[in-house]
Amino acid sequence: MSEKDSDAEITLRLGAAAGDGIQSAGEMIMKVLSRSGMHVTTYNGNQSLIRGGHVWFHVHASTKKIYSLGYGIDFLIPLTQLSYDQHFEKLNQGGAVIYDPVAVKIHDLDPKVMQISVPLADIALKYDKRPIMKNTVALGSLCAAIGVDINVLSKAIQDQFGRKEPAVAENNIKAAMDGYEMVKKQTRPLKNIQYNYSVRRPAMTADYALALGAVAAGCRFYAAYPMSPASPIVHWMASHAKKLGITVFLGEDEISVMNATIGASYAGARAMCATSGGGFALMQEAIGEAAMTETPVVVVDVMRAGPSTGLPTKTSQGDLNMMLGISQDDFPRVILAPRNPEESFYTAPRAFNLAERYQVPVIILLDFAIGDGGYSTVDNLNFAFEIDRGKLLSTPPPAYTNGYWFKRFAITDDNISPRSIPGTPDMMFVAKTDEHDEWGHDLSDVLAGLKEYLPIRRRMHEKRMKKLEEIKKEMKLPEIYGPSGADISIITWGSSSNAVREALHELHKKGVSVNSFEFSDIYPMQEDEVRKILSTAGIMVDVEVNYSAQFAKLLKREAGVEINNFFLKYDGEPIYPEEVEKHILATRKEVHAIA
Amino acid sequence: MALKLSDVRTDLFNDWCPGCGDFGIEASLQMALTELGIDINRVVLFSGIGCHGKIVHWTNTFGIHTLHGRTLAFAQGAKLANPELEVVALGGDGDGYGIGAGHFVHAGRRNIDMTYIVHNNGVYGLTKGQASPTQRLGEQTKSLPQPNINNGINPIILALSAGYTFIARSYAFNTRHLKETIKKAIAHKGLALVDVLQPCPTYNDIETKAWYDGEDRRDASGRAVPRVYDVNMKGHDPLVSKEMDEDQVDKKIQHVFRLSKEWGDQIPIGIFYQEIGTPTFEDRISARIPSYLQNPPAKQIPPGTTKSTVELEKLSSELTVQANNV
Ligand SMILES: Cc1ncc(C[n+]2csc(CCOP(=O)(O)OP(=O)(O)O)c2C)c(N)n1
Ligand code: SF4
Ligand SMILES: [Mg+2]
Repeated sequence: MSEKDSDAEITLRLGAAAGDGIQSAGEMIMKVLSRSGMHVTTYNGNQSLIRGGHVWFHVHASTKKIYSLGYGIDFLIPLTQLSYDQHFEKLNQGGAVIYDPVAVKIHDLDPKVMQISVPLADIALKYDKRPIMKNTVALGSLCAAIGVDINVLSKAIQDQFGRKEPAVAENNIKAAMDGYEMVKKQTRPLKNIQYNYSVRRPAMTADYALALGAVAAGCRFYAAYPMSPASPIVHWMASHAKKLGITVFLGEDEISVMNATIGASYAGARAMCATSGGGFALMQEAIGEAAMTETPVVVVDVMRAGPSTGLPTKTSQGDLNMMLGISQDDFPRVILAPRNPEESFYTAPRAFNLAERYQVPVIILLDFAIGDGGYSTVDNLNFAFEIDRGKLLSTPPPAYTNGYWFKRFAITDDNISPRSIPGTPDMMFVAKTDEHDEWGHDLSDVLAGLKEYLPIRRRMHEKRMKKLEEIKKEMKLPEIYGPSGADISIITWGSSSNAVREALHELHKKGVSVNSFEFSDIYPMQEDEVRKILSTAGIMVDVEVNYSAQFAKLLKREAGVEINNFFLKYDGEPIYPEEVEKHILATRKEVHAIA
Repeated sequence: MALKLSDVRTDLFNDWCPGCGDFGIEASLQMALTELGIDINRVVLFSGIGCHGKIVHWTNTFGIHTLHGRTLAFAQGAKLANPELEVVALGGDGDGYGIGAGHFVHAGRRNIDMTYIVHNNGVYGLTKGQASPTQRLGEQTKSLPQPNINNGINPIILALSAGYTFIARSYAFNTRHLKETIKKAIAHKGLALVDVLQPCPTYNDIETKAWYDGEDRRDASGRAVPRVYDVNMKGHDPLVSKEMDEDQVDKKIQHVFRLSKEWGDQIPIGIFYQEIGTPTFEDRISARIPSYLQNPPAKQIPPGTTKSTVELEKLSSELTVQANNV
């Protein structure tokens, strides 16, 4: 078994070809575990195809709260030879491979890994003409190996197939039972976990959590153009549109999506859209439009590995530079990068409130690893959000009207102008993507460059930019884990935090003096505070999922903090805690060698 | 209180070139709004970037001068968020049929109840007269060094194939016709296109006011014989209704096609096509969300809201950590 606590933790991986139903099998075992009181985190090793190829589903579960994908693999269920070949080297000692000898030839396996042979296909053929239930048989087998009550699986199967003919669920349950019995005959459970069947934990992806949070925060207009790994959000919105009164707009492209979203917000709705990098690139001009017209908007980029079409079903944190450099010239923007599904849920209402309070675009950065590709169990979610629509008014303050027009872009002490929405009597205004004065009137044509108007252009530009100073005060500082004054400090952001946090535990067990600083609010940065906090750091190691250390560069640019040691991953896969551990151990060695 | 033209016209300085057809469009639109007597607080004008786009500043309604080509996308979002708004989108021919062509086509699929007026001047006016998507192959307007190498598109047919349910063309200097056409377009339930032939005296020296008006063609009494004529006055009935059979509809479409290709000596204006009874996008949403029109996105979280209003916990028992019932 892994070096981790074998009576508290499980890692397992199912592998097959696309179309074999590995995703739903993975979700099923995730459900079994989360309904047995376990904390669960998963990862979906997808490929950009519908059939064939190789896909896998990784599950990490624990009786304690966990964050990432765990260490190695305790249980491997390869339905194809390729699945075995790809993953067997990661098997932990004390673990097992559950396989059908007809499909998989075992080779080069560590003798300390148990081989559990089950005729998965033959059993499946008892219940159907085609062996499609073989993954159900495998799940039954797995339940025996990890010592979980098979009834939890039966119930999950019942839920899954409940809407089909009764025979479907019945046959699947029988198939699972056969697998379960078969393994029970071969071995006692390899895990001695105290499952708590009285607790059922909700599990969700960050995409899903974000959709929930957004709607709870009042989002009623959602626009999208299909793009992995952001699509789960539109699927959720569309399937809840009726019940929750959400207008879902499937645009012809991301340009229309972004413009329609800003249009909906201009008209008074809380509006959001989401995409991945390529779609975001198309949205950029319009995000400048939102900033220039001071129309609040929330936009989500669920990052995939790029550039260009890149790896549509693989992960990356490589879009940060794009977010910092969106569109032409300077304008205020907010960038938030929730670290996990739970934080993604709570980020949505913050994003809407920030967008409306400051009348700026707010960008939420998720990535494939947590957005679409991975579930995590969450604690009870608190849906009672505070909603703050900022200076959205229904009657004009006298100082802001000249009888028929409303001074929509008034310069105020806090640089935020009162706002109205079309249809509000006595608050008429024209907004403009050209530079404009406080009334929204044009400064780009006959007045541009005239000496009387240069100061106005300056003031309008400053008014927009200075909002950043106010926003900064609302930005969260990094969360610190581990002892203060540690020799080594890991600097990380967004979803990379998960593997780091888990690695920290193991490193501490090994006596390494290390702590971590996790950033989830990315921009604007409270540079002075950040500099102060990081002045307590040891040797800093930057951990992120991109080639050029984009976040470290931002830290340098904003806070003048320089990092010289990096663990950067850009092969499309998420970071695993053991990789962080290895890097930190090597760093410690170097440091000692120098010292 | 009846609206007066002065109620919908601002006193901001207007910087269009003297003789620009945009003046005719502005006046017609303002007259149409005045005569329709719509609550101007409900009216929102959306424009793109180009000479045409400035119209939102001269008109006293809510308005937004959006990006080049993105008017329709923006306006559709706003209209869906608040279907009570009277949405009039305005575009240039470069703006709407060029850079915004994708939005132009896809708006037709939705048939949102709004009006789209295109200032069709054959050139990219504001960028100094390059050939726009409607300029014909081989034409050479003033600032082209060589004749136009591209074919011009046919907005009428494009709109028809995209699903627009009201398709009209008018002429900027026939303000009576244009005003009436805009009124009908606004009254139409569904997406209405008004393509407006708009002389640009500065850059389009071919399709000039004099040319449209037929100053070069005189009848026996010496009067100009206009090229532009009203098809509806000539008996073209644009209506297509659900009661008509396929044959009748086909014939009508063929006729519209033929009319839309007339150019040169005879240029038809008027309502080419009007489909009655096709559900609007708002109808389609309402069929799914019955409360949509009463409680659209823009009204669900009114200004001043401080607390979340949906109880998502009730959505699914799977959302809360709870005791199992295996
Ligand atoms: C994305 C983008 N590309 C190019 C421009 C430059 N531009 C401004 S107006 C214009 C053309 C306007 O032509 P048209 O839409 O026909 O309007 P008109 O000026 O003729 O009324 C262009 C290309 C721009 N503003 N934005
Ligand atoms: S350039 Fe042409 S379209 Fe533009 S204002 Fe002048 S005349 Fe009108
Ligand atoms: Mg033009």
